[in-house]
Amino acid sequence: MTVGSELFKIADLAVEFDTYGGVVQAVRGISFSVSKGQTLAIVGESGCGKSVSVQSMMGLIPIPPGRITSGSALLKGHEILGRSVIRGKEIRGSEIGMIFQDPMTSLNPTMTIGDQIAEPLQVHRGYSYREAFREAIKLLDMTKIPEAAKRAKQYPFEFSGGMLQRAMIAMAISCKPSILIADEPTTALDVTIQAQILDLMQDLQKETEMAIILITHDLGVVARMADEVAVMYAGKIVEHGTVEDVFYRSAHPYTLGLRAAMPTNDPEKQSVLEPIQGSPPDLFSPPPGCGYCARCPWSMSICESQHPEDYYLNEGHYTRCWMHHRESPLKPAELYFE
Amino acid sequence: MFLYTLKRLFQGLVTVWFIATATFFAMHNVPGDPLLNDRAVSEAIRANLESKYGLDQPLSTQYFIYLRNLSTGDFGISFTQENREVNDIIREHFPVSAILGILAVVFAATGGILFGALTAIYRNRLPDFIIMILVILGISVPSFVIAAMSQLALVSLNDLVGTTILPVAGWGTILHMLTPALVLGLGTMAYLTRLMRSSMLEVVGSDYIRTARSKGVPAPRIFTKHQIRNAILPVVTVLGPSIASITTGGFVVELVFAIPGLGRYFVQAVQQLDYTVIMGTTVFYGAFLVFMVILVDVLYGFIDPRVRLEK
Repeated sequence: MTVGSELFKIADLAVEFDTYGGVVQAVRGISFSVSKGQTLAIVGESGCGKSVSVQSMMGLIPIPPGRITSGSALLKGHEILGRSVIRGKEIRGSEIGMIFQDPMTSLNPTMTIGDQIAEPLQVHRGYSYREAFREAIKLLDMTKIPEAAKRAKQYPFEFSGGMLQRAMIAMAISCKPSILIADEPTTALDVTIQAQILDLMQDLQKETEMAIILITHDLGVVARMADEVAVMYAGKIVEHGTVEDVFYRSAHPYTLGLRAAMPTNDPEKQSVLEPIQGSPPDLFSPPPGCGYCARCPWSMSICESQHPEDYYLNEGHYTRCWMHHRESPLKPAELYFE
Repeated sequence: MFLYTLKRLFQGLVTVWFIATATFFAMHNVPGDPLLNDRAVSEAIRANLESKYGLDQPLSTQYFIYLRNLSTGDFGISFTQENREVNDIIREHFPVSAILGILAVVFAATGGILFGALTAIYRNRLPDFIIMILVILGISVPSFVIAAMSQLALVSLNDLVGTTILPVAGWGTILHMLTPALVLGLGTMAYLTRLMRSSMLEVVGSDYIRTARSKGVPAPRIFTKHQIRNAILPVVTVLGPSIASITTGGFVVELVFAIPGLGRYFVQAVQQLDYTVIMGTTVFYGAFLVFMVILVDVLYGFIDPRVRLEK
């Protein structure tokens, strides 16, 4: 990827939360970037900091107790952390659109779908209510909701889950944002609807050339949608690269573990799923070394005491694992090495 | 929606019939006799009076006469006040209670919703603490204490200024209404504040508020368009019964502020065993309460689309 095409660049972002039990270091220094028309998937298990990282970029985490301790987020070269407007344009809803996991609870139950889609247009574009509502009907049509004019006057409880997620997408793209953040957009939907929603997002991406940041824990969704993948574990990115690199040339034991834990429909491999043993580290007091070492089958003594650095396998494909150090005694065959 | 309203009205009618019947039989079983006064009445006069009021008829006949009169809106004549129909008493004194009650409810509802929303938004910060302390005071201090203290405060205020800014008691102008209405509504306001606070807290942390923020909707617009309307529902639910209970329950406040409301007559009637006035006002209060609950149910549908069962 060339530097000039970077639309959005996060560097060294760290987020903490004050809780009664102490300070939780939810995100511990992550960096990634996306370009126009590209899709970046962030994968990882629950609690690894996927959602917190994007919500903190959008200013959606409550401060306090949340706190962004370091890092920068550059959109088209402008810093967006801690501010709401760049170059006279509102970031939220206008430059960056966002959709959430559970469409059933993410829409206001007492407002019509059309009104909710029209709202960003009224707020950011200065449309009159009628213009905005007409545009909302067009957007519903674009997201392939039949009888859009009639549907726009209905309330969320009259929609099915898949339809609601389409409406959410219509709302998120209403002001033609340059980035769409999708926070587990299909997790709450059943499988057939998932495919439709993903297709819809891809179609819209082709039309508008927006970048998509897709947060998910479903590797199937990643394979289908993403150009690049960032694998997150315990608040850090442990492997990053193109889909091919990460899936077929996995360089981190955690990525390998995720792949092994994926269900398959290959009749020859039909067997019991292989879960990753153990549980993620406590982020109240993160381990001094690699976060994964307690669960890693190849952990070495250095893994417990020191953070590994980024080891580049090729341009854009890097991992954080001591086994990629030149002098590592272990070079297991399952992992990809340079 | 129209059918729904009609159905609710019919249910309300049945409820009122129940109230009327229960009141009738309860009254009949109360010990004592309206015609047995301190001064004994001769047998002949007693028989005459009984036949005049229909008290010599069998109970079932009395009941049907009562129902027939009730259906035409006739509550009968007072047993203790000469030539006064119960209807007249209600017509004359209920509007006073109603105006006072409605004003009190307006105070209670606007104050409760506003303060409740504020405490939720400033949760665990200074405004929240101050308002919640006042709320606990408002709930625990009885209204006659607050009424007397507010009168005392008014007297001192008027003294200080030298003229009467707000009258201490009596009835007549809007200025007379302000203080008693505030005092009458205070307990309900405190209750509504707590209710609004908890429902607002739920709304503030909800997913759709996060969505609204992710759309870049400014905070004041989120407050008016997304938060208030969703948080107000439990408040509206209790508003109907509150209107009825405030309007009909202002007896103490009416007494302290010397307001000629209906509550006073009701209590007087109970003390004097004035059968028709007791039954009349009870049924009237009951019907009023039922009507208010129905009104709120219908109103509910306008606020929350999910409640609009039939279109």
